[in-house]
Amino acid sequence: MLLALRLFIYLIVIIMLLPIMMSLPMALTAGSYVTFPPDGLSLKWFIRMSQDLILMETIGRSFVLALFAALLGVILSVPSAFAIERGRLAGRTAIETLITSPRMIPQIVLVLALLIFYEFIGLAETFAGLVIAHLLITVPLSFRTLHVGISSLDRRLEWSSAILGASRARTFHKIIVPHLKTFLIAAFTFAFIISFNNVTMALFLSAVGERTLPVEMFNRMYVGGMTPVLLAIAFVLAVVGAVTFIVLDRTIGVLKYLSGHN
Amino acid sequence: MSDLSPAIDQAATPIQELRARPTQWGALVAPMLVLVFIFFVIPILYLLRMSFAEQAFAKSVVPIFGVYSLENFAEIFGDIFFLDMIVNSLIVGTGTVVATLLISYPIAYYLTLTRGWERTLILVACLLPLFVNIIVAVLGWYILLLPFGVIQNMLSALGLIDGPLGALKSFWALITVLTYEHIPFAVLILAASLQNISPDKINMARVLGSGVYRTFLTIVLPLTMPGVVATVILVFALSISSYLVPALITGQQVMVLPIAIFSYTSYLLNWTLAAAISLILLVIVAGITFGLTILANRLTRRGEWEIV
Repeated sequence: MLLALRLFIYLIVIIMLLPIMMSLPMALTAGSYVTFPPDGLSLKWFIRMSQDLILMETIGRSFVLALFAALLGVILSVPSAFAIERGRLAGRTAIETLITSPRMIPQIVLVLALLIFYEFIGLAETFAGLVIAHLLITVPLSFRTLHVGISSLDRRLEWSSAILGASRARTFHKIIVPHLKTFLIAAFTFAFIISFNNVTMALFLSAVGERTLPVEMFNRMYVGGMTPVLLAIAFVLAVVGAVTFIVLDRTIGVLKYLSGHN
Repeated sequence: MSDLSPAIDQAATPIQELRARPTQWGALVAPMLVLVFIFFVIPILYLLRMSFAEQAFAKSVVPIFGVYSLENFAEIFGDIFFLDMIVNSLIVGTGTVVATLLISYPIAYYLTLTRGWERTLILVACLLPLFVNIIVAVLGWYILLLPFGVIQNMLSALGLIDGPLGALKSFWALITVLTYEHIPFAVLILAASLQNISPDKINMARVLGSGVYRTFLTIVLPLTMPGVVATVILVFALSISSYLVPALITGQQVMVLPIAIFSYTSYLLNWTLAAAISLILLVIVAGITFGLTILANRLTRRGEWEIV
């Protein structure tokens, strides 16, 4: 019975890894189409990819977008998580629910609501509008991560620091920030990953000449089907994702931060 | 003594902090609340309002006031095409939930039994998709499931099938890829749930003479039911509202609600109808979430499930 379970688990392990690794052998084809088995070996599609200016431009845009969304998310989340944890505010459960609710409703509904709203206030098809949309879907996560971090702080250290004469700013800088460091890194990184990988928001909200990388990939696949260039960029993304995973796991530990949120 | 006086002054800081006025804390949370209120609450409320507008306002770029109508819902519930779509969405959601649970529960259970490299391998395989763009995996599945793709070539080579497989455009392909996408979330929730069971409970059952299967059925499974319910809610809500996977895997072959929302928004420019379909999707998701939560609470209170 245990053997059967083990075989089943190994089968699932292979199935989980296969689609992600599939892109490499197919992208190394020397032919012009996606075929299995690949039609000879060459790096020509990887070279073609690096010469694809539109693709490179979308990578830069996605990067900047994710950077803005993740950074603003952390900047907004730290004070509000402190206020919720320490402030004994009236209706703090309601406030918490409100902050995390953009992740509870289907993204396609959220993005349609934003699209219509943006048309009224003139944010439609602007980069700022896209940043705000990404902020909405990443903030619940960074907020929850930092909330957990702040509630795990040892208040006695802060009191000791205050009693020893440190100003509030100094206490924040010397006591709170070092203890929150891993939570700050986790909040930023996961927000970055979610924003960088998001398709639905940018699909509705980005202007035609200003797509993000996932939307560009989506559109090429939706309109033109499969080309080896797409598989080359997919392989690059798979490698970057795997490296991020390993580095995060080695530095701050992934499981601890993932189990809390979805 | 005078040297100590600044320290004594500062010692009041924690007390002052405790006495900080609510308005000060309020100021810290205000920017976040303003963001969520302006860009989440107002747009969603307006979307709900729009779903009850006449179709004459289908692409109104000025806010609509006053006229309420059920025109959109009359169109949706009077058309077999839309009813089919709602049923399709429910089938896809349910199928994904069942498949995800059947695969993820054994994985989460096995993770409690194993240590070392085996555990690491399983965790890496199950969590890697969270770090890689879902389009990468969808591309991979696309190649695997394509007519004349990898799976078909393999099956033909083994002599198991003859002719095209035609898997890509079917319900099964859609449920397969959605299940793949949601296994990481399910494994995380279920593994946390299984890890919370105290070994004492299992040992007690074993000491009292219960076999492995009986222990699993009467102790482990009931104790993890809250985790199972959480998984069902999450996976159902995510899979029924996924646009990306249906769009790339089945296209228009299997019409589900998000595909229709996108078409009515982008190509057909009928925003009021898109808003009405969105409201239906919201009601389904909210209904499943609240329904299952209430059910789970009631069962817990009756003592059938115990949350450790």
